[in-house]
Amino acid sequence: MVSENFIKKEFTMKLIMTDRPLPLTSAASGGEIRYVDLSSLKIANCVGCFGCWTKTPGRCVIRDDATRVYPLIAESDEVVYVSRLRYGGYDSVMKTMLERAIPVQQAFIRIHNGETHHVQRAVAPKKATIVVYGDYSDEEKDIFRQLVGRNAHNMNFTGYDILFTASDNADGAVEKIVSQWKKY
Amino acid sequence: MEKILILNGSPRAPKSNSKLYAGLFSDYCPRPTDYAAITRNNHLELCAQMEKYTDVLLVFPLYADALPVGLLNFLKSLEKHPPRKKPVISVLINCGFLEAHQNDIAIRMLRLFCRNNGYETGSVLKLGSGEAILQTPFRYVAKRSIRKLAKAVASGRHQDFSATMPLTRKLFLWASTVYWTNYGKKFGITKQEMQRMDIESPDNR
Ligand SMILES: Cc1cc2nc3c(=O)[nH]c(=O)nc-3n(C[C@H](O)[C@H](O)[C@H](O)COP(=O)(O)O)c2cc1C
Repeated sequence: MVSENFIKKEFTMKLIMTDRPLPLTSAASGGEIRYVDLSSLKIANCVGCFGCWTKTPGRCVIRDDATRVYPLIAESDEVVYVSRLRYGGYDSVMKTMLERAIPVQQAFIRIHNGETHHVQRAVAPKKATIVVYGDYSDEEKDIFRQLVGRNAHNMNFTGYDILFTASDNADGAVEKIVSQWKKY
Repeated sequence: MEKILILNGSPRAPKSNSKLYAGLFSDYCPRPTDYAAITRNNHLELCAQMEKYTDVLLVFPLYADALPVGLLNFLKSLEKHPPRKKPVISVLINCGFLEAHQNDIAIRMLRLFCRNNGYETGSVLKLGSGEAILQTPFRYVAKRSIRKLAKAVASGRHQDFSATMPLTRKLFLWASTVYWTNYGKKFGITKQEMQRMDIESPDNR
């Protein structure tokens, strides 16, 4: 059941996951780059049932669009998340998906970076770029930096960048990252 | 005596640890309490109710290192529909991991919300190992800290508290493995099945 091949598989997928439509579709869809616009999907809030750990391990019991997204998160070795910032954290659309992504972890705990965290299933170690936009204060930026630092332990980030952008600059920031990807 | 309103921000409020913590808070609180769960549909009602109270206690779990999205949505409603008189907001947060400090960011977010929206923050209790502690001999640790929280909130002599199981990380790891293995067993799922590494395929709907 625990396939060595699966675990050792070469991960090369890149994922752009955004809480609002980005004008990127021509550049970014298909191939090894996946583009997920969460605002166009139907994703309910996690109900905290732990079914994905204890009843149907690796599989959420709510069968909506989130079940197509968390496998992509797991497989990608580079992710770009685009979210509005709210009270120093991700706003609702992105936060809803991040909560629904816990099937990628096991219930079981390991000691990781000196703290207790969950064991990951086949989750590729990943480089993350988080692009946030909205109106925010320096304090909110500071909270967000701390949040992503903590996410890194729980989401298997090997490294991360945070880009704080004005609302109308988020698209440009993502374009730049994608054009870098295209170079290689 | 002025009543305290307890709002449960757990997505599984009726069956939540937060509900049990809220119950303990009520038991220990020298002042009477009212209790309500935050649901998708009762935001406006709760926002309006808040003005009848001098103190509100938010009880909720840590979700993905931050506030659960249902609570986040409630705060967004509260920002748009503030009560005419603003209560002092105290917090009882619990997280699954051992370290109570893993709750720090969520608390920073709430303090920021309160400051930006004209609410005074009162007392805060950060509970680590909150998924299981009430089912272990260490429940006294949780109870003791909730008793302190209740006294602080009721008296207005606000304080911050933090508590968790008095275990080393290694022992916690062992104890949590037993806890989750038994959890799976209730559904007929073995430890090996729970440990599977694969995640469903994106096309497997
Ligand atoms: C979607 C989800 C995300 C969670 N994220 C975290 C986390 O980041 N850190 C943590 O320590 N516990 C986390 N937990 C565990 C809960 O905080 C813990 O089980 C808590 O006791 C639940 O409280 P409740 O029963 O009041 O909802 C998470 C649980 C769920 C379902």
